[in-house]
Amino acid sequence: MSTTDSAPPRNAQPTTPGTPRGSFLSRLFSHQESGLVLVIILMMGVLSIYGYFNPSKGKKKIDIEQNARIVLLDAQGQEHEVGTIGRSKIAQYRVIESDDTREFDASVINNFDAETNTLYALDIQNRFLKKSNIVLVLKEASFFAIMAVGMTGVIILAGIDLSVGSIYAFSAIVGAMALSALPEGTGWYLSVPVGVLTCMGVGTLCGLANGSMSVGLRVHPFVITLGMMAILRGLTIVIPQQFYDTQSISGFPQSFTSGSIKMEIAGVYPIPIFVMIVIAIIGWFVLSRTVFGRRIYAIGGNEVAAKYAGIPVGRVKILVYTITGALCGLSACLYLGYLGAGETNAGNAYELQVIAATVIGGASLMGGRGTAIGAVLGAIVIQLINNAMVIFEVDTSYNQIVMGAAIIIAVVIDQTKQRVQARRG
Amino acid sequence: MTTRRAWLISSASVSITALMLAGCSNSNSDASGDSADSGSTSTSSTETVYRIGVIAKSNSNPVFQAAKTGAMSAGERLTNELDGVRVEILWQTPPEEDAQKQAQFVEQLVASGIDGIAISCTDANILTGALKAAVDEGVIVVTFDSDAPLSGRMAYYGVDDKEAGKEVMRQLADQLGGTGKVAVLTGNPAAVNLQARVNGVLEQAGEYEGIETPTVFSFMPETATEAAAKMQQVQSANPDITGWALVGGWPLYTDNALDGIYENAKVVSMDPLPLPLEYVKKGQVQVLVGQPYFGWGEKSVEMIVDKLEFNRTPESEFIYADFDIVNEANVEAFGKNWEKWLGDG
Repeated sequence: MSTTDSAPPRNAQPTTPGTPRGSFLSRLFSHQESGLVLVIILMMGVLSIYGYFNPSKGKKKIDIEQNARIVLLDAQGQEHEVGTIGRSKIAQYRVIESDDTREFDASVINNFDAETNTLYALDIQNRFLKKSNIVLVLKEASFFAIMAVGMTGVIILAGIDLSVGSIYAFSAIVGAMALSALPEGTGWYLSVPVGVLTCMGVGTLCGLANGSMSVGLRVHPFVITLGMMAILRGLTIVIPQQFYDTQSISGFPQSFTSGSIKMEIAGVYPIPIFVMIVIAIIGWFVLSRTVFGRRIYAIGGNEVAAKYAGIPVGRVKILVYTITGALCGLSACLYLGYLGAGETNAGNAYELQVIAATVIGGASLMGGRGTAIGAVLGAIVIQLINNAMVIFEVDTSYNQIVMGAAIIIAVVIDQTKQRVQARRG
Repeated sequence: MTTRRAWLISSASVSITALMLAGCSNSNSDASGDSADSGSTSTSSTETVYRIGVIAKSNSNPVFQAAKTGAMSAGERLTNELDGVRVEILWQTPPEEDAQKQAQFVEQLVASGIDGIAISCTDANILTGALKAAVDEGVIVVTFDSDAPLSGRMAYYGVDDKEAGKEVMRQLADQLGGTGKVAVLTGNPAAVNLQARVNGVLEQAGEYEGIETPTVFSFMPETATEAAAKMQQVQSANPDITGWALVGGWPLYTDNALDGIYENAKVVSMDPLPLPLEYVKKGQVQVLVGQPYFGWGEKSVEMIVDKLEFNRTPESEFIYADFDIVNEANVEAFGKNWEKWLGDG
C-alpha cells in the first residue's frame, strides 16, 4: 500500500496541516465531494434541458360535478357516445352540469375516463425538473445511501461487506413478521419503534456476527461476509415459507406505512430522504470529527502502525461492521414502511450497488480513504443514471452497461486525481 | 489546476455519457414505426401519442423477451392501424426479479407522464401501493402473467395457474394411459403461482383411479442445474416413478437433464421454450404446455390502447388465455414461433 493511500484524507479533516491553501476555488475543487456535486449538477442540467424540450404530459383532475354528463364532439361538432369515437378524433369535450355547461378543447385535455366520469386536463411539465421526480430520485437513492454510509467505514478499513443486501432482506423479513403481528389500529408510537428496533436490532446482530467472526477467527471479511450473504439469504427464503407459507409478508398497521414512513408531505413522500440526510450528517461527523473516525482512517491507512499506536484495531473493526449492519436494518425498515411488505427477493445483488455508490463517492478499496457524504452523493449519481434511462426512454436492457461504464469512469478518474495529487506532494 | 482539470474531465465524461444517452433515446420506441419526436407534446398537433411502459419480471428470462417483442409488435401495428395515433412502448424491466425495482419503475414512469403500464408483478404485496397510486393518477394499468388484484388495475391477462396444473396432469395421464406413479417437480414452494399449479396437478390426479396421489418435490434456488439434480436424485431413489409433472420448465434449460429419467418415465412440463423444445424432438419429453408469452405483451398493449383511444374496458377483469400444447407432431412448427417472438424472424 502506498504512503499516499494510507494517509488520512485531507478532505475529511480540513483543519489537518497540509490542507491545500490557495484560492477559494482551488480549495473547493480539492474536496472529493465538490467534484461529485459538480457532476450531479451537470447531469441535472443536461436532464433538465432535455426535459424542457421533451416535456411530459401530466394529468390534473378537472373539478366537475359527480353526475355531470360529458359529451364528445368531433371537428364538425357532431356528438358521439363513449366508445364510438377515437380519442384522436375528439375536438371538444362538453361538460353538462346541473346549472352550467362548459366546453374544453381537446388540446387541453389529457384523458377522459368514462368509468369514473373523470376528466383530466393536460399538465405540461419538465420531464425531469419537477418536485415529484426529484423526490423519487432522492428517495430511491436513500435506500442505498444509508447502507453506503456504513459501507464507507468498512471500505476505509480496507475491508468489504458482501452481506449488506442479505442483511437488508433478512432484517426486512423479520421486521415484517413483527409488524404484521401488530393489530391494524396500532398507533405510530408503537408501530414505528417496533419496526425500527426490530429491523435495526436484527441488522446490528448480523453486523456484529460479521465483525466478530472476521476479527476473532482472523478470516478475511470477504470470506465471512460471503458466507453470511448465503446464510442470511437462505434464512430470508426459509422463514416466510415455514411460518407464513408465502414469499412475502404484508399487513402492517397503517400508522407505520402511510402514517409515518410513507407520510405524504406537500404531495410527495420524503421521509426516507430526511433519514438519509440525517445519516449522512452523522456519518460525516463521526468519520471526520471524532476519535473513532480518525481511528478508522488510521487502521485503513496502515493497520500495523495503528496497532503499535495503541488503537484497539479489533474493537474498532467489530464496531464498524456492527454499525453497517444496523444501517442495513434501518434501510430495510424504510423499505418496509414505503412499500408496505417484505419479500424474499428483497435486496438481491444490492451489495454491488452499495459498493458502487461508495466507490463512486471516492472511497478507495485499498483502504484509508472515503467519506460519508461522498457515499451519499455516489448513490444519488447512480439513481440519476437510472432516472436518465427513463427520461431518455432508453431500454432498461442497457442499464447495466451504462452503470458499469459510469463506475469504471468514476474510479479511473478518481485514481488519476490521486496520482496527480501525489505527484504534487 | 491539474486537479481542477481532472474534475472537469470527469464532469465532461458524465455529460458526454448523458448526451449519448439522449442521442440514443427512443431506441426502443421504433415500434411506433416512424421517426417523430419522442415527447408527446412535441409531435405534430394532429398526432396523439400514447406512451406505454411495459414492466416484466426479469430481462434474463426468454419468456419476457417474447412479451417484449409482443408489446413492440402491437405498438407498431396499432400505430399503423389507428389514424393519427402513435403508440410508443417503453421497456422497463429489471435484470433479475426485483419487486422493489419494479415499484421504482412504476413511480418513475408515472412521474414522467406515462399513459399506460403493463406489468407482470414479481410480488403483488410490494407492487399494490405503487400501482394503486398510478391508477389514482389516471394511468391505465394492465397486469399480465402475474397479477396484483387489489391494485385497481383494469385487467389481468394470462393463464389460470390452477388450470395450467390441471392441463399438465391431463396430458401426463393421457401419456400414462391413466395408470402409474407420478412425481411433481416445483420450485419455490412458497410461490403463489406455483402453489396453484401444484394444486391443479393434485386435483386432476384425483380424477384417475390408476394414479396414486402424486408426491411433490421442490427445490431452491430455482436454477436449471438444481432442478435437474433434484429430478435425477428422486428418480434414482424411486425407480418406480413412471411419470413426471413439471409445473415449470427449469431442468429443461440444460442439456441431458433427463438422463436416467426419460428411459423410465414419461415427462410433461410447462414452458415450451427453445431449449425444452429440443427434449420433445429427442422424445425425452412427451408434451409441453405453454403460456401466451407473446400475447402477454401484445394483448396488454392492445387493451391499454383500446381504453385510451376508445374508452373501452374489457368485459371481464380476468382475461384467461388458452394453453399451447406442444408435442412431437407440432414441435417443429411451434419452434418457428420463437424466431418471431424473440425478434429473429
